[in-house]
Amino acid sequence: MQLTLDKFTKSFGDTEVIADMDLTVRDGEMLALLGPSGCGKSTTLFAIAGIHRVSGGRILFGDRDVSDLPSQKRNVGVVFQNYALYPHMSVAENIAFPLEVAGQDRATIKREVQAIAELVHIEKLLNRKPAELSGGQQQRVALARAIVRKPAVLLLDEPLANLDAKLRLEMRSEIRRIQQETGITAILVTHDQVEAMSMCDRVAIMNEGEILQIDSPTEMYRAPVSRFVAGFLGNPPITFVEGVTDGRGDVDLSGLKLPLPARLEALPAGRAVTLGIRPEHFGVARGLPVPGVVRFVEPQGRETLFDVALDNGAVLRSIQPVRQDLSVGDAVRFNLDTEAMLVFAETGARL
Amino acid sequence: MNMRALTDGAREGTAIAVPSTPVPPAVTLPPRRRGKPRGKPRVSLLGLAMLAPSLLLLCAFFFAPAIFTGVFAFTNMSTSTGIGKGDWMVTPVLLRQLRDAGLSEADEQAISAATYVVDAEHVARAEAGGVDARFLSDIESRLAGETYDNARDFERDLRDLPSKPRSARALKGAADHFASSVLNRRYATEAAFAAALSTVAPGLAPETLSLVTERAYTGAVFTVENFVTLATRRDTLRIVGNTFLYVGLTLGFNVAIGLFLALSTFYLPKRVGSVFSALWLLPRITPVVLYATLWQWFTWENGFIYILADTLGLPTYNYMKAGVTSAWTIMILSNGFVGASFGMILFSGALRAIPVQQLWASEVDGASRLQQIRRIILPQLRWPVLFVTAYQTLSLLSSYELIWLTTDGGPGTTTTVWALDAFKTALWAYSGEFKYGLGAAMALILVVVGLTLSIAYLILFKFDDLVSRPKIEF
Ligand SMILES: Nc1ncnc2c1ncn2[C@@H]1O[C@H](COP(=O)(O)OP(=O)(O)O)[C@@H](O)[C@H]1O
Ligand SMILES: [Mg+2]
Repeated sequence: MQLTLDKFTKSFGDTEVIADMDLTVRDGEMLALLGPSGCGKSTTLFAIAGIHRVSGGRILFGDRDVSDLPSQKRNVGVVFQNYALYPHMSVAENIAFPLEVAGQDRATIKREVQAIAELVHIEKLLNRKPAELSGGQQQRVALARAIVRKPAVLLLDEPLANLDAKLRLEMRSEIRRIQQETGITAILVTHDQVEAMSMCDRVAIMNEGEILQIDSPTEMYRAPVSRFVAGFLGNPPITFVEGVTDGRGDVDLSGLKLPLPARLEALPAGRAVTLGIRPEHFGVARGLPVPGVVRFVEPQGRETLFDVALDNGAVLRSIQPVRQDLSVGDAVRFNLDTEAMLVFAETGARL
Repeated sequence: MNMRALTDGAREGTAIAVPSTPVPPAVTLPPRRRGKPRGKPRVSLLGLAMLAPSLLLLCAFFFAPAIFTGVFAFTNMSTSTGIGKGDWMVTPVLLRQLRDAGLSEADEQAISAATYVVDAEHVARAEAGGVDARFLSDIESRLAGETYDNARDFERDLRDLPSKPRSARALKGAADHFASSVLNRRYATEAAFAAALSTVAPGLAPETLSLVTERAYTGAVFTVENFVTLATRRDTLRIVGNTFLYVGLTLGFNVAIGLFLALSTFYLPKRVGSVFSALWLLPRITPVVLYATLWQWFTWENGFIYILADTLGLPTYNYMKAGVTSAWTIMILSNGFVGASFGMILFSGALRAIPVQQLWASEVDGASRLQQIRRIILPQLRWPVLFVTAYQTLSLLSSYELIWLTTDGGPGTTTTVWALDAFKTALWAYSGEFKYGLGAAMALILVVVGLTLSIAYLILFKFDDLVSRPKIEF
């Protein structure tokens, strides 16, 4: 089911957390709400779930305005960051709870619980109590409970935040698999760009209560609308260097000149710009050689990360397939792919 | 026997850490282990030494009174026996009791009969009693060593003496000084009593003699009489019934109101909630006498209810003391309000320990407020409900002071509960006869019932399950 936020506004007392947010989640899509902590992701999610009342605007499930419906009547499934399993109930009872309060008959409940348990691979744990489960298992139970009622939308609030790295990887693909198998419209709230990019069809990036850009992960990575978005995506992160255009197709970085990408050569002189250089675009096979000194080497297994100080003092980051011929203090000339550089205006918007 | 201390404990109860249901940890717990962890118990001398002061205090203030109660319960100690060592004495009352218990008339007369002995001791007594000296010396010289087993013979011999007094009354008076009877005389030792008894009634069978000796002891003796009395007494059943009703209803009221208050403050805005809950603390923090007085103002003649009833044209009387139903209502309410805040505070704490996401989850899952309370909240309040139930049962079972100050167990004995009866039997009898032994027996029964109930509660609420799972694995 398609989900629409129309000028959605939410304030707590006098503080407005979200103002006039518009967002559409397509039917069957999994959308990530990505943003730094405290930007209002959970608030948005809980408003969709009906846990928080909206202060303004509308929330539509399909064509139905649910803004004034209590959460009981919205038919949403929510997976909370701490799972919020009912500790006094067994796994089966936890999953059956939404069906029981909906007044379904025993046979149906039993069948549905079994089916969902098989879908999320917890059929052997049905008699356990939540306290007797591992984090990943609790996560699966929470997911099962959220989708057993076949909700209109599935809302996941930082579902992987409480898992260790290995489980996180496993659950990432599990959640995606289950979402795809059920075809349920889902919103994933996360502050982790890797999670957002790897699990979702589209990513909505948020900051301070505002959605800055909605795009597919690749598109957003390739063409971020602003400096903030560019800085938020990518690991290791993008490096920014400040400069001024000279009107002849170059940027003056006080002591070092770099050419602008071809499409921006016409920029007039004297404009303060920020260049965004991703580590994978520095130290490539072909491009403009830039001299510098290795300041830091971080081996990452498959790749090696270098911090290179340029002549003007700016530090660029480079990620390259493993190489052991360089160490700190070595003078290098890495090639910079200037065409792939991102250029941002003073306002932060990408040019 | 100061049971007030017990109920007062409920006040301290407010500071007790609120037990909360464990939040599911995000780490793997090993499967639940039953039974005790194996391995040697870790006991160190230092640990025992550190425990010593509290063990001593425990002995002095808990075990000693309990043991005393247990011992006294098996005595017939009362105001008349005193609490020290007793004497041996036969009274007319005792004789009547012995007759009822099967003593033959002949034996009774033998015991109560007086003998007259003319010996130095009695002469001295007569002299001190002001008998004419000449007459006395006659008696001494002529009748010395004689013994008479009835007054007639002795008086006949006296009349034969030359210096006998003129009046028959003076003669009888003189004769009385030589009388020797066990009746109404105190003997400090059993041997002295037995000797005296065999002197006045030499014909007593040995078992009769020992029975009389035993019964003649005025001090406290060990007996199970108290329990027999309690088992056969007509009042017992009514008082037991009263106690069950009182504890059950008050406890129900306590827990229900406590839960209701905790839940409503939980759902109310924070500030309103705290004012609301502070109000309910008033009965708890008001001194009990003042609190009882307030109830009296409220319910007695010309009190609030009385005037209200009068205005409405309803029957007017002393609601606290004159009607059984109203007395019961007042007893339950006054005691119930004191306990309500205790439950409220504990339940509130436990409620706040439930993560709000669980409540959100249940709402999102479609649960109504009522379903949320019944299915999510109440099951997680099991521990505090157990605690309040167990604690309040025990303190209600042994509490009587508020009842004493309000209905005083009346009208009649309709609101008399076990603890109040025990207290009155032992320490507050109108007759002035305090039956310490019987009171102690009643207290002992209370203790036994309390212990049994505690154990029953623990089993019922699977207490073991809740506490035995270690939070930290060694
Ligand atoms: N119940 C609340 N009352 C007041 N402020 C709140 C409440 N919940 C969240 N906020 C504020 O709203 C902002 C967004 O919070 P939240 O949506 O939880 O952020 P996140 O994106 O990390 O999930 C934060 O500044 C937070 O302080
Ligand atoms: Mg959040």
